[in-house]
Amino acid sequence: MTYSFPEEVLEHVFSFLTSQNDRNAASLVCRTWYEMERWCRKRIFVGNCYAVNPRVLIRRFPEVKAVELKGKPHFADFNLVPEGWGGFVYPWIVEFARVYPWLEEIRLKRMVVTDECLEIVSKAFRNFKVLILSSCEGFSTDGLAAVAANCRNLRVLDLRECEVEELSGHWLSHFPDSFTSLESLNIACLSLEVSFSALERLVSRSPNLKTLRLNRTVPLEKISKLLQRAPQLADFGTGAYSAEIRPDVYSSLQEAFSGCKKLKSLSGFWDVVPAYLPAVFPVCSQLTYLNLSYATTQSPDLIKVISQCHNLQRLVVLDYIEDMGLDTVAVTCKDLRELVVFPSDPFVADANVLLTEEGLVSVSQGCSKLQSVLYFCRQMSNSALISISKNRPNLTCFRLCILEPRAPDYLTFEPLDVGFGSIVENCKELTRLSMSGLLTDRVFEYIGKHAKKLDMLSVAFAGDSDLGLHHVLSGCESLRKLEIRDCPFGDKALLANASKLLTMRSLWMSSCFVSFGACKLLGQKMPGLNVEVIDERENLNLLPENAPVEKVYIYRTVSGQRLDMPDFVRIMGKDKNGVYNLL
Amino acid sequence: MSEPDVIKPEMMKSYIWLQTADGSIQQVEQEVAIFCPFICHEIHAGMGSSKTYPISLPARVNPVTLSLILDYCRFHQVPGRSNKERKSFDEKFIRMDTNRLCELTSAADSLQLKPLVDLTSRALARMIEGKTPEEIRETFHIPDDLTEEEKLEPLKNITDDPRIRLLNRLYARKRKELKEKEKLKNVEVEAEHVDDRSVDELLSFINGENGDSKEVKTAKNKKKNRRRKEQQKNAPPVCANSNTSSSPSNGTKESNGVSSVSRDDRVKGHCLPNISELLKLQDSEDDRFALDDDFDDCDIGDGIDPEIKEQIDREVEDFARRLNSDWPERVQELLSLGQERRPSLYSINGNGCSTKRSNASGLEKHEK
Repeated sequence: MTYSFPEEVLEHVFSFLTSQNDRNAASLVCRTWYEMERWCRKRIFVGNCYAVNPRVLIRRFPEVKAVELKGKPHFADFNLVPEGWGGFVYPWIVEFARVYPWLEEIRLKRMVVTDECLEIVSKAFRNFKVLILSSCEGFSTDGLAAVAANCRNLRVLDLRECEVEELSGHWLSHFPDSFTSLESLNIACLSLEVSFSALERLVSRSPNLKTLRLNRTVPLEKISKLLQRAPQLADFGTGAYSAEIRPDVYSSLQEAFSGCKKLKSLSGFWDVVPAYLPAVFPVCSQLTYLNLSYATTQSPDLIKVISQCHNLQRLVVLDYIEDMGLDTVAVTCKDLRELVVFPSDPFVADANVLLTEEGLVSVSQGCSKLQSVLYFCRQMSNSALISISKNRPNLTCFRLCILEPRAPDYLTFEPLDVGFGSIVENCKELTRLSMSGLLTDRVFEYIGKHAKKLDMLSVAFAGDSDLGLHHVLSGCESLRKLEIRDCPFGDKALLANASKLLTMRSLWMSSCFVSFGACKLLGQKMPGLNVEVIDERENLNLLPENAPVEKVYIYRTVSGQRLDMPDFVRIMGKDKNGVYNLL
Repeated sequence: MSEPDVIKPEMMKSYIWLQTADGSIQQVEQEVAIFCPFICHEIHAGMGSSKTYPISLPARVNPVTLSLILDYCRFHQVPGRSNKERKSFDEKFIRMDTNRLCELTSAADSLQLKPLVDLTSRALARMIEGKTPEEIRETFHIPDDLTEEEKLEPLKNITDDPRIRLLNRLYARKRKELKEKEKLKNVEVEAEHVDDRSVDELLSFINGENGDSKEVKTAKNKKKNRRRKEQQKNAPPVCANSNTSSSPSNGTKESNGVSSVSRDDRVKGHCLPNISELLKLQDSEDDRFALDDDFDDCDIGDGIDPEIKEQIDREVEDFARRLNSDWPERVQELLSLGQERRPSLYSINGNGCSTKRSNASGLEKHEK
């Protein structure tokens, strides 16, 4: 007797499938599964807001509780995406308000959010709980006031690196006295002062508050008060960490930190006065996350803190930590999974700090669980990269930024092809790679050959010819996001691998040699792609076929034509009426 | 209230009688059986106290699964056990072949035994995790009844904009047409003519704003496409089955007819729909090929002079062929040229475009 999958429990089984990939796979098994899955999917992730549109989403998934959307491409972080390009969340919010009155969570990244959007959110969703805006812009503190005033059940308000038009700090006072459900508040990116008494009262009446990340304006002397009111905090971000050196302030601060038995994450630390750093010593051994990237403290002081953080898993610092500090990390932080070292002074040519490739090698040697690296430095060598790759074959994310573009191996003056080649060859689980330094087509050959699990690749000032791009597009089976700037890649590799683009989320190429004609051709041949030419020059239509475009952003979509493009964005091969046409 | 039918008086236990769908009857300790809500209800309704009045179990419970369920109940109904013990038992208990696991899940569900339903459902979920749809089908012997088109996210009535609907129809029609074409290997020109007019009307409406002199020519080409779009209008949005969907990913292979087999296989094999963007990919190689031929027939690429287009196509094909056969030599070339190859080519878009705030190497922001 052939059995069949017990469909009566299908929905129940699906409730245990948490990853998007698993749910997507399940939905394609057969008709019944497809239908069941779509009715019970509660969480949606849309990695490119233009790959699909709200109506399609709503039609398929009627019972959504949580939505995550991403808008602008990653290179928007480097000002490569002109203002007004897109990523407007408004049309989505309007549709959600209409159809999902029980929506609870919205997470947005690199999207344009207006005050009107926030107002709709605050009023349309009765049970709204989580609002996370990451690198978003377009709204003001008025919008925040609306959220504060109307979202009765809000649990999370997290503004990560947003650009907010700050009209006043009063918005925080709009949380009503009856509002007690707050669990997480992150206002670190705001620059205006908020009323401290309102903040204090808010913290006092929020027994479930676990995350509190203040902004710079909250003075050090007042932190102890807050911590005393919220000893249950797990994640705390200080304001400016400076004050006149006064023993009473110091001791109450230290006492307050000692009282936070559950504290695992610390951040903030603007304008650090080193004398106050030891106040955090009581919690150091508890910490799993420490972000000192605003602390312009010198290495010795940093070392004093870090040498007590035995359980640290994620560390973010400036290059003031220097190689010596990283040696300490290698010895102390045996549980380290992620290391981020930012440059204190990226625009200065000469190194003013003693941070070299050695620090990274040291950490790669000492921290056996290290998986993720973002490292800015001024010199690198192939041998260092090879060592790192051999020390840490379990790396999943490796982002190296040598500050000088096209800098060769500083010992041999050769390109860094072999070094990065070693990384992709030894680190078989590598999913994200970002390269720098002098690189020829050869490194791309290595990448195409070895980086089979690579999901995202970022390239700048590298390569010699189209062969480079071809290696990557034809070899990297798992590649979904590719972003390229200032590389000599043109039409041939792009057109020869057009079908690959349908298996990827997106491809960004700026300041390369992709011609207008090729963009047109690609757009015409591939209706499943939007080939966006982003070019701020005038008279784009008069451009000769072989002239290179400034920027091209190609992504797969079921949504067809965008209807919200500014005039410097053109979708090739489709006319502005959204009909598949041949321009 | 029922009189316990005790076989061994000294055991002091009550027994109840259960009957499975195949007719066989067995007796079970009451304390064990009542762990199942279904049985519990039946007992309270007065059933199961004697062999002549056994509790009829739901059809999905056969003697084997009943035995397993009773083992489960027998263990868990003992109150004194620790969580660790229970967990350990569950882990061992759940190890069985797929067939049995499915049967057991069904049975537990019909007996409303929630903890066991949870345990088995989780086990089934673990068997689904990390697999492709095909692998899942193989694991559970589920027939694939979604058509290739249905696996694509259909371009349904996205907005009320009739031009968008037309686009959808165009895609749906095209796919259908190609399937027919494949079968018949026959192009019906006359049928196309009949449709021309009404479609042309629509087209002129659409192209009205363009005021483009190319309009007529475009219309002609477009109509060839449009014609292929039949219905697909108001397919019930819920049901994937009615739709020979408007595939967004037509012509994935585009003009490059000579692309290497390996690449196609890769693309095919990795048409794992990454539906995190709600986009499914077709994995029908045939359709792709057919579609490309068709595009070429239509002489699409209207804005480009066909000669130039052919040239580009040829160049692309040449390049691809060369890449696939010659590139070891090319690599040698590159290596022998060595470091002298400096980017003088960079002058066009050089360094000028970059810096500003983005740091020199231009790839990583000082994220905070």
